[in-house]
Amino acid sequence: MSSPVKIWRNQSHISKLLGRDGKLVTWTVVYVPPAGHEQSAPYAVGIVEVSGGKRVTVQIVDCDPNTLRPGLHVRLVLRKSVSAARDEVIPYGIKAVPHNPQ
Amino acid sequence: MNIFVHGAATTVFGELWDTSPRTLAKRVTRAALDDAGMESSGVEALFVGNMLSGILGNQEHLGAFFADELGLSVAAFKVEGACASGGLAMHNAVAALASGMYTTVVVLGVEKMTDHKPEDVAAALMGAGTDEERVAGATFPGLYAMIAREHMRLHGTTRAQLSAVAVKNHYHASLNPNAQFRKPITAKDVDRSPCIADPLKLLDCSPISDGAAAVVLSTDKPKKGKESVAIVASAVATDTLALSDREDLVGLRATQQAARRAFTQANISPDDVHVAEVHDCFSIAEIVALEDLGLYAKGEAAAAVERGDVTLGKAQHLVVNPSGGLKGCGHPVGATGVKQIVELAEQLRGTAGERQVSGAQIGLAHNVGGSGATAVIHILKRVTSSK
Repeated sequence: MSSPVKIWRNQSHISKLLGRDGKLVTWTVVYVPPAGHEQSAPYAVGIVEVSGGKRVTVQIVDCDPNTLRPGLHVRLVLRKSVSAARDEVIPYGIKAVPHNPQ
Repeated sequence: MNIFVHGAATTVFGELWDTSPRTLAKRVTRAALDDAGMESSGVEALFVGNMLSGILGNQEHLGAFFADELGLSVAAFKVEGACASGGLAMHNAVAALASGMYTTVVVLGVEKMTDHKPEDVAAALMGAGTDEERVAGATFPGLYAMIAREHMRLHGTTRAQLSAVAVKNHYHASLNPNAQFRKPITAKDVDRSPCIADPLKLLDCSPISDGAAAVVLSTDKPKKGKESVAIVASAVATDTLALSDREDLVGLRATQQAARRAFTQANISPDDVHVAEVHDCFSIAEIVALEDLGLYAKGEAAAAVERGDVTLGKAQHLVVNPSGGLKGCGHPVGATGVKQIVELAEQLRGTAGERQVSGAQIGLAHNVGGSGATAVIHILKRVTSSK
């Protein structure tokens, strides 16, 4: 897994994205996961365009993957990202949840 | 560019549990040297294409590692460019020959993947992506699945057309004695195979493979009376590492740029190509490649593949992936780019046996790294030494 220093350094990237709204561009549902993600599979991963135009690759959670569609409004939230061993730092990252804009 | 393929060989690709990377490298290099009719003493440099030896096998320093194994004390390099490592090693070899520093070199592509658990291989391959993609749990099938979904939305590409790519490449592989999968499949088989990353099924995906391929390249003219093959273009282009940073999700800009450079170097147009080995790591990747290479207009390749326009025996003009491609022949990642050159050499010499593309004079190899951050293109031409 990532070193604690790397996880700490990554926080500045996370804080810039946290709470931003965006729209889903394209997505997949991963059935065969890489090491570290076995417990979450199957899970949806998509490309989200956040306000301002930047695109990010994130998991889309708290929804039925069958309801995903292009243009779906989402919000970026903080979630645990990959499983960590008991003596490792638990890494947190950005995930997207469907969100109805006001 | 006066560079000729003097020798070419590939091992069988597949789950080669009883064979070590050393043995694969030794066998295939010996076979390539035999094909060239020369001894290893004539080799001046070794270029090794490999991606995963460090992360999976704990072995780096591969230039010296394989030079030692081959009994050479020459300049030796490992070239890494994800799944384009083999093509990138080729490009480095071509550049070294073109510089005039060396006259004869060996390019060896080798990868050992089946010793490891699939999750570990999937995680290691994601070394070619970005931190953000890894944290999101994206996999390469997942990234290409996102490209496929967008291609389906924008160009009306169908599930059946994706299957047609896999069916064609398995058919070609059934004619290739060195292929991992020698069993033809049907569209129904693809549909019934398990989902890996929606909408891609297991049979849309290239397999995890072991294998090696080697070529002997030289600026010396081929022997009189012997059919030979010249490299007339070698081009590389790069793009953003992350798929999400690209404006266009249904085309690979690196492929488009490398193609333009390659066709200019070779002074030919896409219509002149008779046989192409393209990077079909996933069924959608072949469709995207045919469009990016200019072999078909955007949105037209999928229907062409489905009609059989690029299938051996049916094609009028161009056959794509006669080796079976990555899908059918297998994809030991560092070996693939070199295997493509071996396949083209056999096709252009007219020694490809059952899978011979009749009258092939010009061949194109297209090798991609990551989700499209590296693209390498080589164009090869049959030369008949008239002397």
